[in-house]
Amino acid sequence: MEPLFKTEDLVFGGFLKYADLSFPAGKITFITGESGSGKSTLFKILNGTLSPSKGRAYYRGRDIEALDAIALRREVSLVSQEPFLFDGAVRENFDAYYAYREQSPPTDADIKKLLSSFLLDFGTDAPTRTFSGGEKQRLYIAVFLSFQPRVLLLDEPTSALDAATGASVLSAIIKSCRENGTEVVVVSHSVQMAEQFAQNTLHLRKEAAL
Amino acid sequence: MSGAADIGILSFCLIYLLLIVVLILMRRSKIAKTRELLIASLRMTAQLVLVGFILTYILQNPHPAFTAAFISAMVVFSVHRVLSRQKGLNFRFKVIIGASFSISGLAILAYFVLAVLGQSLANPQYTIPLAGMILGNSMTGMNLALASFSQSITSQKQKMDALLNLGVPPQNILKPLAGGALETALIPTINSMVGMGIIFLPGMMTGQILSGTLPTTAILYQISIMIAICAAVSLAVFAALMAGVKTLYNGKSQFTFGPDITRKDPS
Repeated sequence: MEPLFKTEDLVFGGFLKYADLSFPAGKITFITGESGSGKSTLFKILNGTLSPSKGRAYYRGRDIEALDAIALRREVSLVSQEPFLFDGAVRENFDAYYAYREQSPPTDADIKKLLSSFLLDFGTDAPTRTFSGGEKQRLYIAVFLSFQPRVLLLDEPTSALDAATGASVLSAIIKSCRENGTEVVVVSHSVQMAEQFAQNTLHLRKEAAL
Repeated sequence: MSGAADIGILSFCLIYLLLIVVLILMRRSKIAKTRELLIASLRMTAQLVLVGFILTYILQNPHPAFTAAFISAMVVFSVHRVLSRQKGLNFRFKVIIGASFSISGLAILAYFVLAVLGQSLANPQYTIPLAGMILGNSMTGMNLALASFSQSITSQKQKMDALLNLGVPPQNILKPLAGGALETALIPTINSMVGMGIIFLPGMMTGQILSGTLPTTAILYQISIMIAICAAVSLAVFAALMAGVKTLYNGKSQFTFGPDITRKDPS
């Protein structure tokens, strides 16, 4: 079976060198590694927002550099560590994100269903500025998942939560993704989280500068 | 109606006494800008004396080449002033700003002088002062627009990254920021239009009245110049930003700048 992602001799910016990696399809992959080992940069290369300075990265056997970048990002969406929400209510956030993607937004009922699957017990008119860091992060991931990407790259999705809440939230996120048929790759510095959820773990090491 | 009364050199020097008042007030308020005020006053005096002599010569010896040279110098100087505040911007963006600014300003000037006033572009009496007003105000508008645009890019980097990661084309992310910058650029012109005639008498109209022009004629000039300025600012800023944003991403739909617009390498 073609791996979900594969990298060969990947180098970024002359200071990050990656060992060759392979992500099996259909399995939850966790990427771990110390800070500065290039976890977030790898994600950006995988969804085409950064280009490697050397080497190649493949998505389902296709060279990422040769793919249409916008189509790739709609299929492989990257949820960054720092959530971004628009001012206003939950509904307005979906409206704004969908307006940027030039798609019609989901109905209130769909949003409500999505929120509850993310353990967010709010109405669509709830103002997001009163949300806690963890709630903002979950709503942000929910917005991304609502576009039904084929792959969701989650960069430290539980960084704003304590360990117990983080585990239950991640379990809910993974369940929602499974129901959507969305593949999940997670960057996490938490070994326990990886042990609990990962079906495949890739550990990045800080390679010596070139 | 008579022309403006001549000011004798000695009487003229009396106006500098008012600067002493400003200096005293600055000292009292502990504002350490005495040097700047003195330098600014000296520069203004030197620049205006120089331009006064040059304009007198050009008006007495009108020649299309003199007018063209004067206007070119104004364009070069104002483009330089705009770009000197945008040091880190990429080279293509700078060229686009320079071109949009010059072409918009000169096109509006040509329309004003040829179509509205029915004068020749070579006539320095009309072309030079109007160019000064149009280019000067466009320069302020462009500076405001670029400052607002860079500030939005820096403060909204998180939003821009989120949208890019979700597959929103970079042009759709940047264009609303350019729109916001155009709005900022137009605010001073629109505000001064609103207050004009009630809160203050504008400079051009005041100058014409002082030199003996009928107020009814002066207002026609004033209204025309305000609309011309508004159009020049809009055109220059719109063209500069709409074309300029295209230099901020590459063919792979990646941003080509870092945490702020002046840093080129994304990290």
